[in-house]
Amino acid sequence: MLEVSCEKSLGSFALKSSFTAQKGVLGILGASGCGKSMTLKCISGLSRPDRGSITLNGKVLFDSALKTNIPSRRRNIGYVFQNYALFPHLTVCQNIAYGIKNLDKRLRYQKATEMTRRMQLTGLEHHYPSQLSGGQQQRVALARTLIKDPELLLLDEPFSALDSHIKHLLEKELITIIKNNFDGIVLLVTHNVEEAYRICDHIMIMDKGENLQIGTKEEIIYTPSHITSARLTGCKNFLDVTVLEAKDNHYILKSNDLIFKAVKTNQQPSKNMIAGIRAHHLSLSSVDTEKANSFECDILEKIEGVFSTTVILNCKGCILQAEISKASCPHIADGNNRKLMLHIPPKRVFLMPKP
Amino acid sequence: MDTINLFPLYLSFRVAFTAALIGFLIGLPIAYLLSRADGKMIDFIDTLINLPVVLPPTVLGYYLLVLLGRQSPLGLFIEETFDIMLVFTPTGAVVASTVVSIPYLIKTSKAAFLEINEDYLNAARLLGRHELSIFCTIVIPIAWRGIAAGITMAFVRALGDFGTTLMVSGSIPNKTLTMPIAIYDALQAGDKDTANLLVLIMTSIALIVLFTINILERKMKRG
Repeated sequence: MLEVSCEKSLGSFALKSSFTAQKGVLGILGASGCGKSMTLKCISGLSRPDRGSITLNGKVLFDSALKTNIPSRRRNIGYVFQNYALFPHLTVCQNIAYGIKNLDKRLRYQKATEMTRRMQLTGLEHHYPSQLSGGQQQRVALARTLIKDPELLLLDEPFSALDSHIKHLLEKELITIIKNNFDGIVLLVTHNVEEAYRICDHIMIMDKGENLQIGTKEEIIYTPSHITSARLTGCKNFLDVTVLEAKDNHYILKSNDLIFKAVKTNQQPSKNMIAGIRAHHLSLSSVDTEKANSFECDILEKIEGVFSTTVILNCKGCILQAEISKASCPHIADGNNRKLMLHIPPKRVFLMPKP
Repeated sequence: MDTINLFPLYLSFRVAFTAALIGFLIGLPIAYLLSRADGKMIDFIDTLINLPVVLPPTVLGYYLLVLLGRQSPLGLFIEETFDIMLVFTPTGAVVASTVVSIPYLIKTSKAAFLEINEDYLNAARLLGRHELSIFCTIVIPIAWRGIAAGITMAFVRALGDFGTTLMVSGSIPNKTLTMPIAIYDALQAGDKDTANLLVLIMTSIALIVLFTINILERKMKRG
């Protein structure tokens, strides 16, 4: 188990990171420059926090009160850098064996060969990093790190250096490789919510140096506890709402002239809140329906994407954004109707405190 | 032609070679320090190191005389402890050319060190290596072309030094008379043959060295 609780001043803001991580993949999601990478640097000992403590599997790595600061080289932490940082003057084999210099030469060779095979790098042993593809470089970086049997694996934006069309393939490959070869805690830093959702078990949201929310990926996506978490995970619609009524299992909410229903979540209710709803959860239809939580709305603008159309609409004074799949609703996405019915699924509305 | 004394050529090479070696041993750690640390103190050291580039050679020579001459405590200490005389000796010439040439070595090596991605060093640290091991296995191999260019530059600068060497070690024939000073002396004496030959040698060396540095630097950029 990894327990982090540290503070570090970073110029315009301060890093105040406090979380624990168990076995499995924890994604750290945040905009660039929010302190995600600095968190990894503090854990790995490359940067020194101003205050706090870091403990890994019961071993104190850093503690400002005890004046403990174990140097990086003795922390036994694996780190895969954003651009992999493979040593350009060493071959694949030399790169992989760099961290096990203390072992006997024969054993070293044996381990490196074994790792090369497991990472599907056989045949590339004598190539230099510049002769490898992005995916191969990534595997070398991983092999170099995993050969030391680290207790914790840190991945800093591992896919940002790759072309988008091979990202998906490599993502799957990387996860399979990690799951098969590493049984410990993995922290993955990313700014891409899709990537985080696909790869991670748990997600932590970071903003301006502070962690806002940590939970399973479903919790983070379906019930963000904070407006910034919702925004970072791609939510487009936020309404200032007044809670008119609280029933057994749902609320009646009012925003401008729009009065709608929302299912209760475990968020502490107050009179004035922010309601969030994701653009792709809203649905539009051209016919009058008796479906509950459906309202008449005016289309203000349509922005066509490749597979979906974004519709900006005005529903009783509330401006909302809906994302309509072209394949499932071609008549809405391509049609010219100015008036449509908007359905807000009560299960998909989440409430957040006002900032 | 057969009367031409080649001692200055030999002495200059010996002095320049020693100066480059000393520069390498002292200058390289300083260059690495300057490339990795920052702060007011570091800026100050950086400025101090570059001073010999801009100061007139006579001023620099004067400082060295004051600092290391027989009247100075440091000069006396060196003379009494190591039995080394600096003024009007070839050793003095080595000291003078080291001081004028070391800034070039430091500047060029520092630039080469600065080009090394900090992540390489961090990766090596996390793979369990300590700093000295990282310096030998990562820093030097990646920056060697820059370092080699720096050493060569320092070597030529030391080879061509005139003013500072003259101030410190004088121009005693067959003892402290280096090439640049010999050229001056030959011209003063109206010995055009010697002057021409020495000038030709110096120019050829300069050309070869510049060409080498160019190649090294181009390869360094390509990585």
